[in-house]
Amino acid sequence: MTTNNPTNPDDSLPLKGLRILDITVVWAGPYSTMQLADWGAEVIRIESTKYFAATTRGQMARPPQGVVDGGTSTGMGYAWREAGERPWNRHAIFNAHARNKLSMTVDLTKPEGQEVLERLVEKSDGLIENNLPQSMDKQGIGWDRLSKINPKLVMIRMPAFGLDGPYRNYRTWGNHMESISGHPLIRTYPDLSPEYAPAGVPADAAGGIGAALGMLMGRRYVRRTGKGLMIEAPTAENFVPLLGDFVMDYSMNGRLWNQMGNQHWYLAPHNVYRTQGEDAWVTIVCWDEDQWKSLCEIMRMDSLATDPRFKDNESRYENRKELDVIINEWSQDRQASWIMDKLQTAKVPSGIVMNERDATEDRHLHEREFFSSIEHPEAGTHKQVRTPFKSGNHENVGARRAAPTLGQDNEYVYKTVLGYSDDQYDEFERNGHIGTEFDPSIQ
Amino acid sequence: MVGIMPLDDVTVVDLTHYTAGPFATRILSDYGANVIKVERPITGDPARMLPPFYEDEPGLERSGLFLWLNTNKRSITIDLKKDEGRDLVLELVKNSQILVENFSPGTMDALGLSPTKLLEANPKLIITSLSNYGQTGPYRDYIGNELNLYGMGGSMIGAGNVDHEPLKTAGRMVNYHAGYVAALASALGLYTVEERNEQGDHIDVSIFETATHSIDMRLNRLMGYQYTGRLAGRQSQASAVGSGVHPCADGYFLITGGARFIPNIIKMIGMDELLDQEEWSTPEGRAHPDRIDEFLPHLIPWTLARTKEEIRKEAEKHAVLGGPMNTIEDLMNNEQFIDREYFQEIDHPETGPIKYPGYHFTLHRGEDQPMPDRNRAPLLGEHSEEILAEIGVSKSEIEKLKTKNVI
Repeated sequence: MTTNNPTNPDDSLPLKGLRILDITVVWAGPYSTMQLADWGAEVIRIESTKYFAATTRGQMARPPQGVVDGGTSTGMGYAWREAGERPWNRHAIFNAHARNKLSMTVDLTKPEGQEVLERLVEKSDGLIENNLPQSMDKQGIGWDRLSKINPKLVMIRMPAFGLDGPYRNYRTWGNHMESISGHPLIRTYPDLSPEYAPAGVPADAAGGIGAALGMLMGRRYVRRTGKGLMIEAPTAENFVPLLGDFVMDYSMNGRLWNQMGNQHWYLAPHNVYRTQGEDAWVTIVCWDEDQWKSLCEIMRMDSLATDPRFKDNESRYENRKELDVIINEWSQDRQASWIMDKLQTAKVPSGIVMNERDATEDRHLHEREFFSSIEHPEAGTHKQVRTPFKSGNHENVGARRAAPTLGQDNEYVYKTVLGYSDDQYDEFERNGHIGTEFDPSIQ
Repeated sequence: MVGIMPLDDVTVVDLTHYTAGPFATRILSDYGANVIKVERPITGDPARMLPPFYEDEPGLERSGLFLWLNTNKRSITIDLKKDEGRDLVLELVKNSQILVENFSPGTMDALGLSPTKLLEANPKLIITSLSNYGQTGPYRDYIGNELNLYGMGGSMIGAGNVDHEPLKTAGRMVNYHAGYVAALASALGLYTVEERNEQGDHIDVSIFETATHSIDMRLNRLMGYQYTGRLAGRQSQASAVGSGVHPCADGYFLITGGARFIPNIIKMIGMDELLDQEEWSTPEGRAHPDRIDEFLPHLIPWTLARTKEEIRKEAEKHAVLGGPMNTIEDLMNNEQFIDREYFQEIDHPETGPIKYPGYHFTLHRGEDQPMPDRNRAPLLGEHSEEILAEIGVSKSEIEKLKTKNVI
């Protein structure tokens, strides 16, 4: 499609001309359209002022200040710690991934909203959604209908577990898909109850990358066959291969690995150790005898190198708890960055466990121009990441325009893309499709 | 009917080894690419000698790790340190669209396979380099492995309990995620060459950066920190009312609560009257930290009286966000995954038929064109002669290369 994408005036970006409709929520779906928007695709987020999808533009549309104060920097990460007049424009999660995307609003529960959707589908190359199948059904968003409107469409559907099967309409987030897939039970602490299991959502991250890849492959399929394509990318199915090693060991040997914590399957040392300062840690690993000898030397513990308890990897693994105590005693009074540099110089794998401050100030990321600053009209100027990989032909592709405020691009989408007249636009506005604020009834 | 797969006219020269790189080319092969895996003679990809082994007995063709990472690929052995070996790679790329490698930065140059040389051989080639820290920068030559790359790049500092050490993700997830990004990068490069008629490109994927970029708590927290000035630290799953990993009759069950979701949980456990009490009736009241401990005596007896599956059904009914804490065994016997025939059985001369993880995503090309069965991982050098014949190397030349130990 020819586009005049206001977020991409630069004609040279690779995905210029590709128009993608974005009906994504929370993290996995939005992370996929982030990849495409960064590389120049015109990504149009289809939003509604009548419906607030939790954890997309915040957990709540209008969180009381008390909730914001008590919340975390993720869930309740509002600019200047204030929800403000329009909290949905100031939320960290959304503003981190939605840069370079456009936002339009339409009420799909009304017939004329459905007409807008049809026009959008007609004029787009792809659509990505990650919703509960039954909520898409209710809004009439399905392959049979959309592929009739645009036979060359690529539609990526990212339900949690699939478009069919007994879990079809089981609503979960990434962390629940992971618990079903076995991840938290494998990674949690060896000596503590699973009640201490950590949260995490690498499933969402992999889902986002996979759907972006799926869109590019889908477009290639369309070019070669002249036919559209629906790709089903259930987040859980996409994630399970990341546990492939465990699947194979169970499959081949009936073995289960649970509550591993930071232990390796067979290497030692392989852990995280306390260092000087508050909540400061360093990782240390040895996978060969040279690294082990270097570590002993740097710790000035030559006797350790000849200690029969640690004489080879097998012995070290068996006695890893004792070994970890010894390394911890050494590391706890030293600086993490000193340990990392010292060990790395001797070719021993080691690294700071970086907090958010360490990452945003890291010298390596700085030199590779990983961050660049951009101003958001309602949230201030902050650092944004560039794309997760560097291209030699297109240097430092990253944030060109800050995340869109709700409905920011309504005029462009309705008038320029869809060709509605000024009068028609006003009518859409009167009928509650076009707006920049969530309905006051939404908390 | 096999039908057209999106990448079935694309050839990938795969110089990767171990885990992250093979994960990238495995995905490309899943969607049709002809992946030529170049391995060193005699020992092959070192992952062939990494556990788990079938029946715990080591062997070049028995590593479960190697087997699942290399399905659908063909293997050719080439000694890249010999001139003839390097020339063979330069021949291979002439008929290829993508080359993926994950050597330490500088190694390709030393082998005479610098981006300049490769692009001379094929100006439209996409070269994807995958490394721990990237091809440039102060950490370029630092050593990396799963644990320290996650610690540096990922959200490890925020993973685990506040009174205990930070935790890594399971297995090799950070490497695999980077491999996934490398597959996306390769596909984007291909798109640029084909659709925009650009020249070939050298793409630089740093595992450290793909972790720092990840939506897995990292990207969001980097912004959240800038917005609020607060470091996220480790928050247990129990940092909001109703949230946590709760014991139940046959294991543990994960629930996500918080101000917005707690009314659903309250209804699920049949405590509707609680919502009438003043401190439970408003979002502020429900967000108060005191509510977390107050709620547990209501919730835990309810979960303890039910199995994981019983709770899951109730959660689904009441739109409560939650899931059982499964083992891999639970996963492989899970009704949803069985119903969708997710795990794929693949036969192999050393292991017999074994269940493998399924496709990342399913292409709906039509009723008559289901996703194809994958081929098993190649034996070491299994396709050497076939691949050389494809690029026009004669039988006598192949014999010569063999005697010189090039292949």
